[in-house]
Amino acid sequence: MVHRAAVVGGGHTRFGVLDEGPRALVRSAVDRALGSVDRGIDRRSIGLGYLATLGFGGWQIGNASALLGEEAGMPGLPSVRIENACASGGFALQAAVSSIQAGASEVVLVVGLEKMTDVSNARRRFWLGVSGDTEWERQAGLTFAGVYGLIADRYLKIHAVPREALATVAVKNHANGALNPNAHFQKRVTLDEALAAPRVADPLGLYDCCPVSDGAVALLLTSVELAPRFTDAPVYVDGIGASSDFLAVQERFDLTRFDATRRAAEAAFRSADTERGKISFVEAHDCFTIAELLALEDLGFAGRGEAGALTLSGATGRDGRLPVNPDGGLKAKGHPIGATGVSQAYEVFLQLRGSAGARQVPGARTALTHNVGGAGATSAVTIFSAG
Amino acid sequence: MRAIVQAAAYVPAWTDRGRRVRGPDEDPFSMAASALERVARERRAAEPRWTVRVAGTAPSPAGSGFAELLGGPVDVSEGRPGLAGFEEAVAIALRGTGTEFVVALDLDPDPAGPPSRHVVIPSEGAVAFRIDEFPDGGRPPVDLGHLPSGPYVIPGLFARHRALAPGGRYGWVGDWDTDLRAGRPSGPLATRPPGVPPPRVSEGAYVPRPRYLEGLASRWRFVCDRCSACGNVTFPSRGRCRTCAREDSLEARALPLDGGRVLATTWIGRGGQPTEFDAQVEASGPYGVVIVELEPGVRATLPVADAGPGEIRIDDTVGTRLRRLYPIDGEWRYGRKAVPLASNGPSATAA
Repeated sequence: MVHRAAVVGGGHTRFGVLDEGPRALVRSAVDRALGSVDRGIDRRSIGLGYLATLGFGGWQIGNASALLGEEAGMPGLPSVRIENACASGGFALQAAVSSIQAGASEVVLVVGLEKMTDVSNARRRFWLGVSGDTEWERQAGLTFAGVYGLIADRYLKIHAVPREALATVAVKNHANGALNPNAHFQKRVTLDEALAAPRVADPLGLYDCCPVSDGAVALLLTSVELAPRFTDAPVYVDGIGASSDFLAVQERFDLTRFDATRRAAEAAFRSADTERGKISFVEAHDCFTIAELLALEDLGFAGRGEAGALTLSGATGRDGRLPVNPDGGLKAKGHPIGATGVSQAYEVFLQLRGSAGARQVPGARTALTHNVGGAGATSAVTIFSAG
Repeated sequence: MRAIVQAAAYVPAWTDRGRRVRGPDEDPFSMAASALERVARERRAAEPRWTVRVAGTAPSPAGSGFAELLGGPVDVSEGRPGLAGFEEAVAIALRGTGTEFVVALDLDPDPAGPPSRHVVIPSEGAVAFRIDEFPDGGRPPVDLGHLPSGPYVIPGLFARHRALAPGGRYGWVGDWDTDLRAGRPSGPLATRPPGVPPPRVSEGAYVPRPRYLEGLASRWRFVCDRCSACGNVTFPSRGRCRTCAREDSLEARALPLDGGRVLATTWIGRGGQPTEFDAQVEASGPYGVVIVELEPGVRATLPVADAGPGEIRIDDTVGTRLRRLYPIDGEWRYGRKAVPLASNGPSATAA
């Protein structure tokens, strides 16, 4: 039989410039996840582990998943490393869901990790572009800020959207991040500050870009049948969808649309057998402010060219019609590459259990996470509901 | 009749105290390539090999580089440098057979030369001739008196070449394609010092040499695959249609090098560049990157050269030139960059 998967525990380190190394971050996230399980859990009941990480800086490029068992106090744990750039976490989560569905293990551990701030500036700038198309985009002098800068330039021009729409994404996500004790930036910014910041990759300025962060997140998944053993308040995974696209943006059929996200969203909604109007809030992949606008359109929450107006209307604020990134998003919470997709699901775990504190979305019952690798080359969309 | 059927001069767009100088991403190979490709647009037909005669030492990566640029095997020969070597190479090519090219760099004007005729010779840049069979009684040779005069016009060359042709056995036909881009560039670019970054082993996204070479047909000549089954174009070429996945229905074709339309632009500020572009940013500051539509639905992501922020915008028409990209493993990698498409200098036409 096909089991349904449920999240029964989660642990999240602080995101930001941290003293801890990657091993300590993994240990901390796993210990917090184990400690979060309402009825307790024996770590030996975990039968399978997935580690999502890019291996930023080259710290442990090969075989990194072995340290899951080492650091989680579970020597011998079968483990796999999943790497889809910034979408590694979302894809690792979906691999864990599939493993539960297939009955491969009763309890599966998913850990997302990135340690990014302990390398030299030169090495960091080398690694920031390694997941784009190497032979064309990178050789043209682009990192992701540049690729998204090109997309933003075209988007703003053809849809006649003002830069204020981008800045409003930053202002909103910083306001949400200010309420998240794990966020890298817990400080509000004003529209004027966001608009006046120096340009990184025109038209994108400093406040249009997510920061470079350290952090790790762990989730524990089991089947819906076994979930009551661990908690009365599990969060169900209702549907998953994933897709890919041409690695280089120049080969896509449309420059201001991520078809991978469109296909992933269609598949996720189909498998969850639900519709957009029933989603309480969205965790969108806002590595750059323009990405949140594209996400709203590609996920089907706004028509083409309309995400700017939707954002300017306040509809995506925490108290709006469709809250987007109540945890601050990648923009304010931070973006430790491999950790991000797992962190999005962690926020869903908190929100759907009503334990998100000051940033709680009132009455949240269903949620969607959207995790993108590179500039839309891979995309994972997952839909959850309160158990 | 054997004739100089086409000629082109490439002159850098940069100036320093009123003198033309090479840009920070230019070198003898990229300048020779820019002149050479202008006179080699006709695809090779029956001739499997072409000859490229260089006045002086062929700039690296000469042999393999010229072959890639011209889309097939070439024999490269070297001769004496300077104006004298250029004339000598032209004379040899005019006595030869088949398609030959003559390329010259660093042709310092010889003030003592005979002042009878005028020809555009840059003191920095490159000149290329295509010398080929030309039907007797075809278009009459161009009157060299119609060649443009200007800061690069120096006396000499053609008068002496004509002297090689008693009885008019060969002559001059076709356009003089100057590519001088009069008036460009303006603003700060024009006075920025053209420091050339030293080759160094870069800590860059790694494209191994074989993969770089494999991609050159698309990177340097914009070769794409058109699928006769579904009609879609795959660029860069990958030996399989990106739409219908067929491999047996592809027809290789070179897209136009100039005249593409800009779809999107960005300017990478100081500190936002990948590591391997550090030397370039040190030399010439922030740089642009554009997505250019080469023909409807076919796009290339290209760095911008010879233009500052705001000088290239969406919907502009741009040209492309071969330039240095960045050094890796101790060698330079080259690729096309988008440049402002400005008016060429006046052309010499048939009288």
